Amino acid sequence: MAHIFQVGAGSGGIVVLDAVARDERVDRITLIEPDVYAPHNVHRHLFPLSAAGRMKADLAAEWIKGLRPELKVDAIQADLTDPALHSMLHALAAECDLGVCAVDNEAAKFAFDSLMRGVGKPWTLGEVLSGGIGGWIHRFAADGPCYGCVASHLQRTVAEEPSAPAPDYANPQAAIAETRIPASKASISTIASLQAVMTLDVLANDATNLDFTSLLFTLARVPGVFEDAYRSYRFRIAKSAACLICSSIPAPAAGEDLDVALDQALARLGHE
Amino acid sequence: MGLLDTEFGKRRLLSVEVPAIEKYNEGRDAEFKIFLNRVGGTLVLSYLLKPCHNIYRLETRLLSSYPTVPPETRVLTPLKHCPHLLEGQTMCLWRQGSTRAVSRWDPAKFTCVFALQAAWRWLVCYEIWHDTGEWPLPEAK
Repeated sequence: MAHIFQVGAGSGGIVVLDAVARDERVDRITLIEPDVYAPHNVHRHLFPLSAAGRMKADLAAEWIKGLRPELKVDAIQADLTDPALHSMLHALAAECDLGVCAVDNEAAKFAFDSLMRGVGKPWTLGEVLSGGIGGWIHRFAADGPCYGCVASHLQRTVAEEPSAPAPDYANPQAAIAETRIPASKASISTIASLQAVMTLDVLANDATNLDFTSLLFTLARVPGVFEDAYRSYRFRIAKSAACLICSSIPAPAAGEDLDVALDQALARLGHE
Repeated sequence: MGLLDTEFGKRRLLSVEVPAIEKYNEGRDAEFKIFLNRVGGTLVLSYLLKPCHNIYRLETRLLSSYPTVPPETRVLTPLKHCPHLLEGQTMCLWRQGSTRAVSRWDPAKFTCVFALQAAWRWLVCYEIWHDTGEWPLPEAK
């Protein structure tokens, strides 16, 4: 039986969660999600308007408990990037068999990568492209490329967004216009469902036979970007020897000596 | 991730950031070297930059969540209010998902010294803007 450690229960995360939680091999789920369900979430989520104001983590936990009452579900309202929670999150990740990352901000992806590599567990990541024109599904293994290797390799150079209006520098607290084109519920669900499939493959160890680490699936024809809709592209992204996150640059010390070495470095470089 | 209180953070500092700072400081005039100080869970780089005619005092903060979260750089020398300057004279340097490689913080490739170089570039733009009214680089996309 398997324990899934998932971060994110937004419009994509809830689709992955719903699919994975139905699998009989899964008997425990730990879900991290900090956000409140808002009225503007309704058109791309499972829950009705009457649920607005409640925590997404609680709603998601109730949903999957409704499907499988015997499932052990821990819903935690927390921000993955909060350093104060690192020890608690590390302990939870250490107990899991597989991670699922369903967040759309870079900091959280890097934080999840660090967490999962720290405990040596595999994980999957789904990313819907702006406008819902397609999406990525990545799988990570403890000894493979980290999220930094993948993000640097792909470089995110596809410019499918319109130019953003200039920020109002005279009013730094003002709301910043949203430049990302929202994806439709259908496109989010498609990419999230593919992530769920890959997650279950990893769980079954079937993914070890796959000859790719990242899958790009197009959902629309976009001139200059995607020639066709509904095409898949497979990428085998290698661990980068120059990656500052996961490459094996030797640290000058380990354990308590690490603290001593750090104190010495700070003393060397600090103000007198 | 805890830059100063996790093994990952400490290893990153000792194997990547500290050597990069020491390399930067090597052979540099004392007043233009980077000084590194711990302020709570944050590391603060203090330094002077002279991109053109003027000398600016700056600090770059490596927050507890660094390198996942980009460093924050602010100018301590008083500036005229200008584009790309946020509250507290913090430079607007990074944009998540930017299609311009140098405008998108990449923790797998960049060190804190890259942030300092980005600050230098920003100050060059500031001086040009100060004289001409034109910011010489387009908005990050």
